[in-house]
Amino acid sequence: MCAQDAFVPARAHEFDARVLANIRLSTRYFLLRLERPRDFLEPAAGQFVHVAVPSLDDRFYLRRPFSIHDCTREAIDLVIVEVGPGSQALRRAREGDRVRFYGPLGHAYPVLPHKRILAIGGGVGLAPLYFYGFRAPGKIGEGYRLLYGARTRDDLFLEHVTLEHKGVGLSTDDGSYGFRGNVVELATAIMKEEPADVLFSCGPTVMMKAVQALASRLAIPHYASLENRMGCALGACRSCVVPTKLDGGSPYRTVCHDGPVFDASVLQWEELPVP
Amino acid sequence: MSDISVQIGPVRFKNPVFIASGICGYAEEYSPLVNLSRLGGVVTKTITMLPRPGNLPPRIHELPHGMLNSIGLENVGLDRYVKEKLPQLNQRPDVGVMVSVAAETEEEFIQLAEAFAPMDGYAGLELNLSCPNVKGEALDQGRNPTLVERITRIVKERIPKKSLWIKVTPNITDVGVVARAAEQGGADAIAAINTLVGIDFDLETGKPVFARGSAGYSGPAILPIALQKVWECSRAVTIPIVGIGGITHIDDARKFFLAGATAIQVGTTLYNDPALPERIVDALAENPEWIHARANPAHAATRKS
Repeated sequence: MCAQDAFVPARAHEFDARVLANIRLSTRYFLLRLERPRDFLEPAAGQFVHVAVPSLDDRFYLRRPFSIHDCTREAIDLVIVEVGPGSQALRRAREGDRVRFYGPLGHAYPVLPHKRILAIGGGVGLAPLYFYGFRAPGKIGEGYRLLYGARTRDDLFLEHVTLEHKGVGLSTDDGSYGFRGNVVELATAIMKEEPADVLFSCGPTVMMKAVQALASRLAIPHYASLENRMGCALGACRSCVVPTKLDGGSPYRTVCHDGPVFDASVLQWEELPVP
Repeated sequence: MSDISVQIGPVRFKNPVFIASGICGYAEEYSPLVNLSRLGGVVTKTITMLPRPGNLPPRIHELPHGMLNSIGLENVGLDRYVKEKLPQLNQRPDVGVMVSVAAETEEEFIQLAEAFAPMDGYAGLELNLSCPNVKGEALDQGRNPTLVERITRIVKERIPKKSLWIKVTPNITDVGVVARAAEQGGADAIAAINTLVGIDFDLETGKPVFARGSAGYSGPAILPIALQKVWECSRAVTIPIVGIGGITHIDDARKFFLAGATAIQVGTTLYNDPALPERIVDALAENPEWIHARANPAHAATRKS
């Protein structure tokens, strides 16, 4: 977290990988499956890749950072929400097309073997929390519970995998599936019956702020994975900074290199923008 | 392998391809992706006497043909740069380091120059007299030829064996006048150009996207403007010009040499295409005649003396 004090460069490499599949998950979400390059280092949950948008026109694109949703020996899965021209261009990528990216980048969620973890995700924020529970360290239902909130049933894009799992809880704002209400309300209710030692979160800022309020009230640690627009994703350009309570010449820390997973108690939550 | 080294003032660089200031931090950050020792050099993030926290986020905004940034010269300050960052790069003496510096007053420029004067491990200084993202005098320095000449002189006097580049702003009417002032002051090169001042609005809030309103515009959109400023400088001065602005392709780099540049810097495109600077080096090694376009008579004929 204090990368400014002793900067250690990322161990990322640039790759040019084949698209194995591009699958629509719901009205807004799709899954981009890339062939895993041989030299791609073993990623940890919370790390991301910085993806170049395949541009067919003269439009200028910065790369897009995507949290790794899953990674096997053969493939890297990214879950992407269609919000603008960059994600739309990626949605059009077909099997066999090539996509350039570098990674894995950033700080991951801590591995805490003897702690009871409650992970709270919203929107595409499910990606790293799914990776943590179902792949590495992969303790879903055994000390790791995952709650996921969406607007409607349509946005529960991974219900086919997670629906019936004992370690998973779902909520929708409109009550069309699972708990009716937001996922932090669900978490609050669950914590009363089955407390956890640590909270993880990833999702909209407003959701993570509410998780931080819950963590403060219960006086337990909270690790939050933040999102931001990025330039280099290597800690160089200082574009993706967020305000923290840390010093060292500047209160700002980069989401790309100091994060994206932060000990939430160091963040200046009241100054984080709520899109 | 042909010799594509270039002489800029007292320093010989192994080739004319650099990474622009602000793009690659203190350089080490990009070492996983770019073989820095293959380049002519890297220009660091701008260093100031004291650490600067930088501007309130958001700091970056993508547009269809470029990017606005409002970083605000966030940097660790001179002391930590000298103690921590420069030594990190000095472990690799094959990397050419141009240190970008900015200051609010002439006195501060003297202090910076005196701090760097006795040091090794860097090739020279690039004076950022034209950052659009900070308050105070910093931007105005680059608009005032008298001040440019004076600052250039007081710095050059203190680092006679290093290469001194003056980075000029495009946000003025006559860049040639400022370039000439820098040359008069003893600059070894003109680095042209810094970002253009731009602004964008958020239609939902009705406000500018950045807290400070205006920001620096860079990327492919500014290529023809940068080329024109280099062209203008090349008619105003005889010292080398380092062309910067909107390079996304090898051909863009060639155009800078045609406009009169001796070297080029790759900036914003590095975020998308970190391999571009090395590809340009390869292309130049195969076509060294591209670099010396400025010497060709057709171009010389149009130059004012």
